[in-house]
Amino acid sequence: MSNTNTKDTSSLLTIKDLHASVEEKNILKGLNLDVKPGEVHAIMGPNGAGKSTMGYVLSGREGYSVEQGSALLDGVDILELEAEERARAGLFLAFQYPVEIPGVSNLEFLKASVDAQREARGEGAVSSADFLKLAKAACKQVNLPLAFLKRGVNEGFSGGEKKRNEIMQMLLLQPKVCILDETDSGLDIDALQVVAEGVNSQRSSDRSFVVVTHYQRLLDYIKPDFVHVLADGKIVKSGDASLALELEAQGYAWLQPSDEEGQNA
Amino acid sequence: MSEWLNQAITQAQGVSDWLSPKRDLALSALADVRWPTRKTEAWKYTSLRPVEKFSKTAPASFSKASSLTQIDGFECLDLVFENGQFVTDLAELTLPEGLSIQLASQADSAKQADVLSKFSSIKPERHVFGLLNDALVQDVLVIEVADNVSVAPALRLTSILSLAAQAHTRVLVVLGEHAKLTVSEHYQGNEESLNTGFVEYEIGADARLEHYRFALQTGKAVSLGGSHFQLAERADLNSTLVGFGSDLSRVDVDMVHAGENAFAKMNAFYLLDGKELFDLHATVEHAVPHGTTEENIRIIAADQAKAVFNGRIHIHRDAQKTLAELNNRNLLMSNKAEINTKPELEIYADDVRCAHGATVAEIDKKALYYMQSRGISRAKAQVMLNFGFINELIDQMPNQELAEWLRPQMREKFSQMEVK
Amino acid sequence: MTDQIDKALEREYEAGFVSDVESDTFEPGLDENVIRRISTMKNEPEWMLEARLKAFKVWQEMEEPDWAHVDYEKIDFQAISYFSAPKSMKDKPKSLDEVDPELIRTYEKLGIPLIEQQMLAGVAVDAVFDSVSVVTTFREKLSEAGVIFCPISEAIQNHPELVKKYLGSVVPTKDNYYAALNCAVFTDGSFVYIPKGTRCPMELSTYFRINEQNTGQFERTLIIADEGSHVSYLEGCTAPQRDENQLHAAVVELVALDDAEIKYSTVQNWYPGDENGKGGIYNFVTKRGICHTNAKISWTQVETGSAVTWKYPSCVLKGDNSVGEFYSVALTRGAQQADTGTKMIHLGKNTKSTIISKGISAGRSNNSYRGLVRMNPGADGARNFTQCDSLLIGDQCGAHTFPYVESRNPSAIVEHEATTSKVSDDQMFLCQQRGLDPEKAVSMIVNGFCKEVFKELPMEFAVEAGKLLEISLEGSVG
Repeated sequence: MSNTNTKDTSSLLTIKDLHASVEEKNILKGLNLDVKPGEVHAIMGPNGAGKSTMGYVLSGREGYSVEQGSALLDGVDILELEAEERARAGLFLAFQYPVEIPGVSNLEFLKASVDAQREARGEGAVSSADFLKLAKAACKQVNLPLAFLKRGVNEGFSGGEKKRNEIMQMLLLQPKVCILDETDSGLDIDALQVVAEGVNSQRSSDRSFVVVTHYQRLLDYIKPDFVHVLADGKIVKSGDASLALELEAQGYAWLQPSDEEGQNA
Repeated sequence: MSEWLNQAITQAQGVSDWLSPKRDLALSALADVRWPTRKTEAWKYTSLRPVEKFSKTAPASFSKASSLTQIDGFECLDLVFENGQFVTDLAELTLPEGLSIQLASQADSAKQADVLSKFSSIKPERHVFGLLNDALVQDVLVIEVADNVSVAPALRLTSILSLAAQAHTRVLVVLGEHAKLTVSEHYQGNEESLNTGFVEYEIGADARLEHYRFALQTGKAVSLGGSHFQLAERADLNSTLVGFGSDLSRVDVDMVHAGENAFAKMNAFYLLDGKELFDLHATVEHAVPHGTTEENIRIIAADQAKAVFNGRIHIHRDAQKTLAELNNRNLLMSNKAEINTKPELEIYADDVRCAHGATVAEIDKKALYYMQSRGISRAKAQVMLNFGFINELIDQMPNQELAEWLRPQMREKFSQMEVK
Repeated sequence: MTDQIDKALEREYEAGFVSDVESDTFEPGLDENVIRRISTMKNEPEWMLEARLKAFKVWQEMEEPDWAHVDYEKIDFQAISYFSAPKSMKDKPKSLDEVDPELIRTYEKLGIPLIEQQMLAGVAVDAVFDSVSVVTTFREKLSEAGVIFCPISEAIQNHPELVKKYLGSVVPTKDNYYAALNCAVFTDGSFVYIPKGTRCPMELSTYFRINEQNTGQFERTLIIADEGSHVSYLEGCTAPQRDENQLHAAVVELVALDDAEIKYSTVQNWYPGDENGKGGIYNFVTKRGICHTNAKISWTQVETGSAVTWKYPSCVLKGDNSVGEFYSVALTRGAQQADTGTKMIHLGKNTKSTIISKGISAGRSNNSYRGLVRMNPGADGARNFTQCDSLLIGDQCGAHTFPYVESRNPSAIVEHEATTSKVSDDQMFLCQQRGLDPEKAVSMIVNGFCKEVFKELPMEFAVEAGKLLEISLEGSVG
């Protein structure tokens, strides 16, 4: 677990001893994670381990309270910030269940997001015409028909279309750290490839990814530098890509000694 | 009883013409009517103070400057009432084949008898302002579409009032079998005025009516009219009602399924601000089997506004296999504003599917978080979501030109609301 | 299928017998003198008489309400007797041994044994016969816990400070026509006081019986749950089968002080009249509770009786975080008419209310839900959820829903849903194909439809309610 304990100011995301709860139920119980620029970290683990909670806590969803610990994004403590301020600081969460917003068009939503983030960085707004070009290009890249820009956000989209819409948003927002929360769930192999290609096209030395997944399948397409196992609110094992294969073969049970505080799954 | 009502009755009493039989009926009903108060169920939340203190001065002369609203790309024939007087020169209009428009006063006696037989027949139980309209109306504009005729241009009915004016207009629209027509009713103005504008629609078998009522009076304009529809076999009605709210705006929409297998859809939305009030009473009568009704009502009330909605669905004993759904969603934006809603079901047939739902809520927290997680500020996200809530119904308007015309107006009104 | 349903619904009213009890009954008629006589009979203090006379004046100036979806002949209030008590009760029997055995037999026949040894150990009963309380069981055991459970006529004499403070505090005299009448002429009913921090050691129950002809029953119930206390209260009622309509105009007031909880359950089985709507009880009842901070009031009702029902058990959620609940099953058949529902008035912050209403209409009956949910400006974060479902059996009945939603707080959330359905041929076919007889199938489907409400009733009542529905639906599809 060398990477989780190293203090390194060049890290993009540093999570230290994070404890968090939902409705007074402790979910995260001392999470540590250190992500350096350009790295891809995969977080795997059984259901109920706290994988999605991690994404929600980091991105500032209401109802998730942090009991202790810290999370630095590019050196900035984000836990006290509003959800939108965290996004503007460069954090992107691809939702496991993207939200439908009827009546608000996808294009309007995307432009408002990009404008808000540019404004926060002190950059001018993109003209509507230029933005439309960008949006169309992103739309094509994730293989969505252009008509989807005009439709209500995720309204009536299939599961795969919603996930591709998430990736499209990521392409347009150009975040520093992307958390993909089970982006592979409910995707057929073609959609999975589209998503993976979108992610891979964005891999660069100054951007990092945290890929939360239940299955190793996605990791065939998005090669991780590190694989961590999250169980009962903390990381119980870390390794390289081969760990994912091991997990695929053996499941998670072997990682949770039954004598540990009686909390085996 | 209100002084205004007494005056109106006196005004109607002296008149004698072809409408007299109906006028006399209305006057005798008015003699027994009690002036509505808060204890009158149909006016429980809607104060009639603005009528009671309506100024009795003579109306200001009409300024030609208040011309018709320009709607880009909207192809229509204009029919205009100024202070209740029908001012369009019918001789100047080129009407498509199968469409006839005339004033009943100038028609032959057979036509007049026909109009009288249809007069107030869709909604015979009339509230006090319905009765007043019956008594005070001076003429009926009659629009008829022959069987199998699809009228391409829409008909736009506009009612404009000047300061201190009163208008009591009446239009009868009759669609023959397999006919098609679009009618857009526009009520506008913000000066102190009072109108009771009623339009009655008889939709023939297999005919289709696309209907809009833009109740966009604001300020001191008092409006108390309604649109009544009767659907014959397999008739199809798609109606959109938009309300802005004024000191007193009340619309009564009545939809009567008189023939089997008819389909009625109504979307209504209102956006209220300041001390505005808007009250919609929508009644659906399923008198025969196999009818379908869908209603969507969305309301946003801000500042000190007051929204009232009463949606009644009445399934008569024989109306088996009826499908009726009413969905009412409301957003309240201030704790000085209020929303009063009452979706009613009255069901006397067992083999029907009826449901209604009503919610008053804050905006969707999940959606808010989703937008924030993309960097949009909470305040901005709230505005976008609120507008989206109304915009969803604008998107459903079948006529794109009207939707494009309406959307920026709604947006404008909406952004003004946000500033406060 | 309709004929079979109609036929099947001609069922016997099992509680329709008349008890042969000699009674002192006032002549029909209502004036100040009658009220004075009631007060004298009850040996009341002067302040109570004054309150009655004041209420009578108020009532005289009010108009009978006509907004409910019910239709009945105008009541002649001068044709009703306002007081009737078994002669044997005149000397106030001190123990059960002194009570007229015919009265005890009456309650036994109704399945309510009044002899403590025979009773369900966990239930204390106050038995009200026409205008008086016959007996209240387990009083000693209750008083050990500090719980007061007695006829309200006794409470007026023995606990005037509590009665003065709370009587009329939830339902004011002027509240409505029938409440005002009740204030003037009420005769008996139950009084309950649960002291601070006390969990009432047993279920409390009142059983109301109208026996005498041409009498009205005007009972008054007051339940006070002091801070942090808890009580579960059950109410049952029946009346003989008579051709004339009889009036039952009760007022029930519940006061739940901070952190207290009151659970009030009713199984209402008044005589519903015959198939043609002749006879039966007019049940015009005002029930309301007030919740202080963190308090909870839960109303559960199973309504199968009465010719006309007009009843809206309500909650005023005054204190922050208080909770109101209303669970209702209303079954109407024959020519019955029910207009029932609830009012949830949210005043405090984070108050919560839940309304689950199940209406079942059969025969030529009309069954209406009428409800009000009001969110006042101060009700920050308040929530309401309402579900109203109607089930129609046969094509001659009516099912109606009249929900009023009034919101004045932008952070309050109100959700109202209503649906209507029938017992479908498919459901019936499936059950029959699996070997169930149609009667069982209907009762099963109806019971399933009402499940959410039945699970709120105390155990013994749930069983009774289920049976009552089964009897009411007996053979409904032959």
